[in-house]
Amino acid sequence: MIPDRIIEQGTLRTDGPRAAVEVRLPWYRALPGSCIAGAELTIDGKTAPAESLRWEMNGAEFTFDELRTNIDEWWFPTDSAVLSGDLDIEPDAEHEVTVGLTLYIPYIIISDTETLHIDEKNTKTMKAVAA
Amino acid sequence: MTALGTPIQGVTLYSFTRAFHGREYDLEGLIRKTAADGFGPGLEIIGFSSFRGFPAIDDAYAGWFRDLIDEVGLVTTSLAVNADIGIHRDRLLNQDELIEYMTLQIKAAAKLGFPIARVQISIEPDSMEALAPIAEAHGVTLALEVHADQYASHPRILALRDRYEKVGSPFLGFTMDWGATVSGFAPSLIEAYRRRGASEELLGQVVDLWNTYYEQGPPADQADHGQRFGSFIGLAARHGRPDLGIDFGINGTGLFGPARVDDWRTIAPWIKHVHGKFFGIDENGEEPSVPVRDLVKLLVENGYNGAISSEYEGWHWNYWQSPFDIIAGEQAVQRSAAGAAGSRMITDLAEARTQLGAWLPNTEGAHA
Repeated sequence: MIPDRIIEQGTLRTDGPRAAVEVRLPWYRALPGSCIAGAELTIDGKTAPAESLRWEMNGAEFTFDELRTNIDEWWFPTDSAVLSGDLDIEPDAEHEVTVGLTLYIPYIIISDTETLHIDEKNTKTMKAVAA
Repeated sequence: MTALGTPIQGVTLYSFTRAFHGREYDLEGLIRKTAADGFGPGLEIIGFSSFRGFPAIDDAYAGWFRDLIDEVGLVTTSLAVNADIGIHRDRLLNQDELIEYMTLQIKAAAKLGFPIARVQISIEPDSMEALAPIAEAHGVTLALEVHADQYASHPRILALRDRYEKVGSPFLGFTMDWGATVSGFAPSLIEAYRRRGASEELLGQVVDLWNTYYEQGPPADQADHGQRFGSFIGLAARHGRPDLGIDFGINGTGLFGPARVDDWRTIAPWIKHVHGKFFGIDENGEEPSVPVRDLVKLLVENGYNGAISSEYEGWHWNYWQSPFDIIAGEQAVQRSAAGAAGSRMITDLAEARTQLGAWLPNTEGAHA
């Protein structure tokens, strides 16, 4: 759903060994942290190590393991979250950014034990700004 | 003979998802535009889409919202709520947890002034029965949405209908979603695939495949549904566009349900609310793939006096046309169809309020 909206144009930041970009929810309704199952951050073909990824929303930062059990913090459809990871990129240069997201849709139950999940991906090119 | 119905015109803000998500309008802006452009008087909202922190609604916010609705001159019809049975990654909610989860949303509906809560198919007959007294206590009718790939005479829907009959609560019913009774693959979606580079040959075969399923009618069971889903994926793969396969499958089976309009008669007395689902308006001012005129006629003839929320779903793929113009176009078709059926749509606020109040059950002492 509207995957072209995932990456917010012009929000790529670099801070030493880390890079961050703002992302939007590719769904029409708010989802809790527990439904944000995974992300991938790739810049110029290099993918950030999964364990280095952090997710910031509602003013707090989470690992994806922490999100797994969080049903108190919700990603609202008009809010930007920040996805960051270990990637050393040049400031003031153009970069190709790809973000992949795996989201569970908690009200669509597809079997006795399984909830629907979606994988969405978006790529945009933008200049990095030093934090 | 049943007196002819006069459905209440309205809209769900879901139709404007692209504008809201894109931050062109906030909730207040969309409500004001809905009133100013005459898309009401009925207003439906999805709780988890529009209200930050839902289902927690504090008194000050509820007061602000109710005052806004009064000021702009709309009538709140349905709050679309969700049964997030899969909210925990490792397990599904049990029955007690589900009842608690839904109760919070029913309370939110009452607090915000919505007389109906739209619920979804994942709620089974036992849960609907358990929720009936809670709905009644808060003066909120639970209208379970009959949505493709289900349809009115689907075994799961009939099981709910039979349970409603047994429970006998006027607070249990259905929301009719017109997407269950579609008559063609939406041309605007074909156009979107064309813009994504799909060949005319492939697009022709997508339409043909859907038409084959339309001739056969709704899928007999989940296996049949799965087979149809898979056939769309196979078609895309054979034409070198595997990237489009899942999209074909989701839309071809989950958005464009192939049941016939008359199928709704199976549950007609229990239809409390309607999603006037549609996908686009063509150059003749008609909906080319949803039989809007026949659906409105059926409702009028069945004495339906509830609201029809125009629900534009073409926004998923149609980024080149204004959803506001398209809603206006579909509502014109509805009004024309009601007139042709010897009745009319209610567009006057006072009439809508009075009629909706009489249409739905009330609970003494509850604030509905």
